[in-house]
Amino acid sequence: MPQSNRFADYLEIIRQQIRWKRVQPYVLQEIENHLTDQKDAFERNGIDEETAIIKAKAEMGDPVVVGEQLDRTHRPKPDWPLLAMTAILIFLGLSIQFIIGTDIYNGMEMFYKQVIWAGLAAIVFLVAYFLDFTILGKYSLIIYLLLVAITLSDYWFSDVRTTGYNTAIYPLLLFPTIFAGLVYRMRNKEYGGLVLCGAAVIVPALLGLLIHNSTVLFLIGTSCLIILTVAIAKGWFNVRKLYALIILYLSSAVTFSIMLFMMNDYAWNRLHVVLNPSLDPTGAGYITTLIQRLLLHSRLFGEGLPVSDYGQYPISKILPEANTDFLLTYLTYKFGWILFIGIILIFLAFIVRSVIISKRQKSVLGQLVSLAIILTLVLQFLTFVTSNLGFMLFGPVSLPLISYGGRGLLINMCLIGFLLSIFRTGSLVSDDTEVAGIKSSRLIQYENGKIIIKLKATQ
Amino acid sequence: MSINKSLLTGSTTMLILKLLEETDMYGYEMIEELSKKSQNIFKLKAGTLYPLLHGLEHKDMLTSYEKSTGNQRIRKYYSITKTGRKYLNEKTKEWKVYTVAINNVLGGVDFAPVQ
Repeated sequence: MPQSNRFADYLEIIRQQIRWKRVQPYVLQEIENHLTDQKDAFERNGIDEETAIIKAKAEMGDPVVVGEQLDRTHRPKPDWPLLAMTAILIFLGLSIQFIIGTDIYNGMEMFYKQVIWAGLAAIVFLVAYFLDFTILGKYSLIIYLLLVAITLSDYWFSDVRTTGYNTAIYPLLLFPTIFAGLVYRMRNKEYGGLVLCGAAVIVPALLGLLIHNSTVLFLIGTSCLIILTVAIAKGWFNVRKLYALIILYLSSAVTFSIMLFMMNDYAWNRLHVVLNPSLDPTGAGYITTLIQRLLLHSRLFGEGLPVSDYGQYPISKILPEANTDFLLTYLTYKFGWILFIGIILIFLAFIVRSVIISKRQKSVLGQLVSLAIILTLVLQFLTFVTSNLGFMLFGPVSLPLISYGGRGLLINMCLIGFLLSIFRTGSLVSDDTEVAGIKSSRLIQYENGKIIIKLKATQ
Repeated sequence: MSINKSLLTGSTTMLILKLLEETDMYGYEMIEELSKKSQNIFKLKAGTLYPLLHGLEHKDMLTSYEKSTGNQRIRKYYSITKTGRKYLNEKTKEWKVYTVAINNVLGGVDFAPVQ
């Protein structure tokens, strides 16, 4: 725009007053538009261009004062309660790891490892927190492909014999978030965009199947389904909402039925035992039966009553994975339901507050990505709690920030870093104006008393 | 009814919300409209308007969206929210009580408006 040079010196002074760099282009664009409008108005009244520019600047006022006022309005807004809760959860997690560490075999060694991982996770958190989260929208395809590559190599090189599970489950936890970025990119792309989004779920879902982890599969499937439902319901795909929802749920139901159909005898057998652990109390139903017995003997405060069937051994000898998979069962039996309730309440507070702030986000990208992150955290939390209560349909993956395991901690801190970054800077993010672009490509337009008929379509 | 001390400084907010109650507008339009409606009495400086608009947006009283216009300029339109309407309602009531009180003092019985 030729005008921009005329106002450049004035805009530069305003820019220098605004300390938050990322807000500058958004604000200056609006001010420049205003100056141009004002100048045009003066010119229409017969004033020459030079004078009009000077007068337009004078109308706006002293650029230093204007800049200072804008600076005061635009400060990043860290959400201190959520930051505090994240810190509390990390310290609570480490304290719990220390307490359990003194009780179980090799526990202290694992505790020290977890402290080191917590340090690394804090760095990852800060990077995600200060990174511009809009890259998740802009480069969603590249990030998606990168993540597929990382997960595949993790799957390939994972040493299942030493870890007991495939470590690819952790990068898989990032998929819903990247998926939200893809949905953002595909918005306004109608049915084609919707189909492409559906296709994007296939790769992580297949990986979830390959590593035999029903929890991860459930987490990815449910999150992506909810994200798409919200995107369709809010009209972001520009399609008939009802049709699109029918297509989405029909295809999900078909996929789900095919998966059930392909389940082998072993899986069916497991499912039966999950629903009724007493069918096989010493085999596949062993853990479930043990957990149910431990919880039945737990008290509100203090250590639970002795469980007779398992000899007189302490809980640390009979419950496996006390610091990871069954941490809540351990804590409940060892210290009482009060600790269980306390941990649940902190998580609930975190989740409820996140949902409230997420709903306030103005940009489509901010809403989608924060929804995806909240879902990833909530579903991990829910599957962990239910399995620790003895309902093992979906086994535990991790209790975010608390259960033992470096990769889980790293991934969850990265997700929370992005979430709080959205909440800190989301107010200034606006989506690209594609919808407006479509409007202006209409053949006949009415504007300022003029009817404009385009004889050639421009798009 | 207690009168907010920031009534006078807050009156600009009230005027802007009132304008937006009818239709969505961009900044320049608001200044023009305000000047027209007040018969050139209120000449709001653009330098005051934008920090105020952005502040109201942070407080969820306004939302904004961008719309491109014919000459390829993208304009930021502001739209009043439910919170904004509620706030405007309260402020308008306060304002009425305030002006009645002022009139009562200034003009005594003769100036009191007919209820």
